[in-house]
Amino acid sequence: MDSWNGILQGFSVALDPTNLLYVFLGVLIGTVIGVLPGLGPTATIALLLPITYTVEPVTAVILLAGIYYGSMYGGTITSVLLRLPGEAASVVTTFDGYQMAKQGRAGPALGIAAVGSFIGGTVSVVGMVLLAPPLADLAVSFGPPEYVALTVLGILLVTYLGTGSVLKSLSMAAVGLLLATIGLDPITGTARFTFGEVSLFNGLDFVAVAMGLFGVGEILHSLERTEKVQAVTSKIKGIWPTRKDFRDSAGAIGRGSVLGFAIGVLPGGGGVVSSLASYAMEKRRAKDPSRFGKGAIEGVAGPETANNASSTSAFIPLLTLGIPPNVVLALIFGALLVQDITPGPQLIEQQPEIFWGVIASMVIGNLMLLALNIPLVGVFVQMLRVRAGILAAFALLVTMAGVFSVNNNVFDMWVVLGFGVIGWLMKKTGFEPGPLVLAFVLGSILERAFRQSMLISGGSFDIFVTRPISGGMFAFMALIIIVSAITSRRRKAVFGRVDPADVDETDEPGPDADRQVTAEGSPGADSTTDTPSSTTPGER
Amino acid sequence: MPLSRTARALTACAALGLLTACGSEESSSGSSGAAAEYPTEEIRLLVPYGAGGPTDLAARAFGASLEEQLGQTVVVENLPGGSGAIATQELIGAEPDGHTLSLATAGTLVLTPLANEVGYTLDDVTPIGVMTEVPSVLAVGADSPYTTIADLVAAAEEQPGALNVGVPGASTPQAIELQRLAEEHDVEVTAVPFNGNAEMTTALLGGNVDAVLINASSDVTSNIDAGQFRPLAVSSAERLSWLPHTPTLAESGFPELTLSGSTFGLIGPADLPEEVVTELEDALRTAHGDPAIAEQVGAEYVPEEFQGAAEFQELLDRTQEVYEPILGD
Repeated sequence: MDSWNGILQGFSVALDPTNLLYVFLGVLIGTVIGVLPGLGPTATIALLLPITYTVEPVTAVILLAGIYYGSMYGGTITSVLLRLPGEAASVVTTFDGYQMAKQGRAGPALGIAAVGSFIGGTVSVVGMVLLAPPLADLAVSFGPPEYVALTVLGILLVTYLGTGSVLKSLSMAAVGLLLATIGLDPITGTARFTFGEVSLFNGLDFVAVAMGLFGVGEILHSLERTEKVQAVTSKIKGIWPTRKDFRDSAGAIGRGSVLGFAIGVLPGGGGVVSSLASYAMEKRRAKDPSRFGKGAIEGVAGPETANNASSTSAFIPLLTLGIPPNVVLALIFGALLVQDITPGPQLIEQQPEIFWGVIASMVIGNLMLLALNIPLVGVFVQMLRVRAGILAAFALLVTMAGVFSVNNNVFDMWVVLGFGVIGWLMKKTGFEPGPLVLAFVLGSILERAFRQSMLISGGSFDIFVTRPISGGMFAFMALIIIVSAITSRRRKAVFGRVDPADVDETDEPGPDADRQVTAEGSPGADSTTDTPSSTTPGER
Repeated sequence: MPLSRTARALTACAALGLLTACGSEESSSGSSGAAAEYPTEEIRLLVPYGAGGPTDLAARAFGASLEEQLGQTVVVENLPGGSGAIATQELIGAEPDGHTLSLATAGTLVLTPLANEVGYTLDDVTPIGVMTEVPSVLAVGADSPYTTIADLVAAAEEQPGALNVGVPGASTPQAIELQRLAEEHDVEVTAVPFNGNAEMTTALLGGNVDAVLINASSDVTSNIDAGQFRPLAVSSAERLSWLPHTPTLAESGFPELTLSGSTFGLIGPADLPEEVVTELEDALRTAHGDPAIAEQVGAEYVPEEFQGAAEFQELLDRTQEVYEPILGD
């Protein structure tokens, strides 16, 4: 009954003409900046923070929330059409979305992403109304050992998901972990690998690294193959997915909604992790995993649903505990603080119009996005008819402006350019930037959490297994590794495709995690290499 | 990296040259004329933290008041990073004419230069006055067995290092205060550095640390009001008006442990003309007495007595004196 009154109050707030206008502005800006590579939701929200000082608190949050989940829709468009993730959470969409575009199925890829995002967002809103208080309790019990488990799981998934050689994925993940050690030591506060450069004290800026590797690297790479990109864009037709597409993706959308919702609530979760997890789940569940990376519609539908669901549910810890689970929500937290409102356990009671108003605005915003997205896709398809050189120059400009806007630091622009060249070289040599960037993000969390755990336990490793949640997660990971090692061995035995290099790895199921990751990642590598023979195990 | 070192040396030389040049110009042309005209152009107010935080809020509130009083636009510029060093370096490289100012704390002016090579010290700036003060609170969770600071200290003395106390970062005033607690009072706890208040709050609510020594910003006060946090002691010299029943660390047997709070002040580059300092100090004093500003930044963070250039300098010097032996080795 309380919830019902709350929802009614929420809609009365959200349907106020001013707030309606701001929902619309938010989702429109979100979609546009999601489309434009480089200028992600973080940079945009940071840029727009000054504007929010002048409007009502609830209006400010409605606008910023709209930008956030709107960007999840928009980020899909360039991921599919250009293999340029407009924002980080859409990275996974490039795996299959771009392949679909290459096959002339860009329309259905975008259509299913929009539908999935809408369903994911709606499911998440419903979940938020029902589950906000109990889920907040769950999230708060996570301590440093649980973060260690979560980040290790993340890095495990990254190498497992590598679309190229597992060895290359692993080495890129290692580079990412190394890059994460640049900056002030999180426990002692002394500078590491900064070479006297003050701008490196806080480490390399994640936004700059990601924009460089994904954005600039891809722009440079695309300039070399202009013809090919145009060939892809000229083939777009029929945005609405076929009935078969819907049948194929229904399960992925359902699972993605739930998964994204759950991951979004966890501190440190959010868009990238949820889309990665959904992709991994779909790939694992698929009858024929080899289709993934080659244009499987589930590989677009699942992650896109999950990242939108997570961008909605990420508001739960903020609005019930006052704890922003990721950078974007930290900015929204800041916007609220500026308005002299402190999100916390009392927010729902003391400022119900904010909690319920934002929830109701999300329902309206998701409807607007669904209505907007289909026609807007056409507009952006038109945009791609612009000569690649012009588009690249424009994207580069937006990227540079965006990265500068985050910290007002010229150094970050050099980081973008430097990593842009590195990303371009990696593309040419077959190294994927995904594992590097994700290990870079997770690495600093992992290091901090690991050393905090060691401080708390007094140096004993028991803390990771004696605590039920982290122990459970590590047991789960061990299970994944063992099961996939066994199945990959069996599969190889059955089909007699034993590679001498793989035997070495799979025959040693010792406690050495790196080795097991390698062994466990093998099927993933098989499924995506371009040799026709590698697809046979799945097809038979 | 020889290249970056050269670049740094060049920058330092250029900055030094600029400083001396301006200094001599000031003395020859007679400073009264310059001050009468100040400010002649827009004023940059640097903030060594990102947009949206409480520091940014304080800078914007006081900046708006300065703008009104001085009749020139005040542009707030966020230059986060380098533990405050990026903004402070930008400041000391600017002309000391009062048109480039910065928000600063003991952390950015004392701790950062002591812990790392950043190319400036406390002597390279001119303190103008204090804007806000955020005290620290030693707090435990609602279901903690410790109800007083004495309980916590007794437990720490019984089992040195067994208690885990969260602090907001590696080289923060809070971390150093715990180190002083161990060195000067033999009360040994394990300081666990977290990444800011939000992480510490989760850790305490989730029972992952026994206590936190945390900036009492509004997220923390709301947790105290909600009964989630139990405050055991505060870092200020006097009890806080909004926590009248919580003792200070000083009255709990640790008389010199008053430095773990954060004082946010206004500074300019070294050799800021006396008149400019006075003009800005007066404007700050007026802003300090403005109830609208107190409401904007939170009345509990505006110190009861205004602290001007001399008091702010004194606080920074005292902090430097205490921290140098701890961080110097």
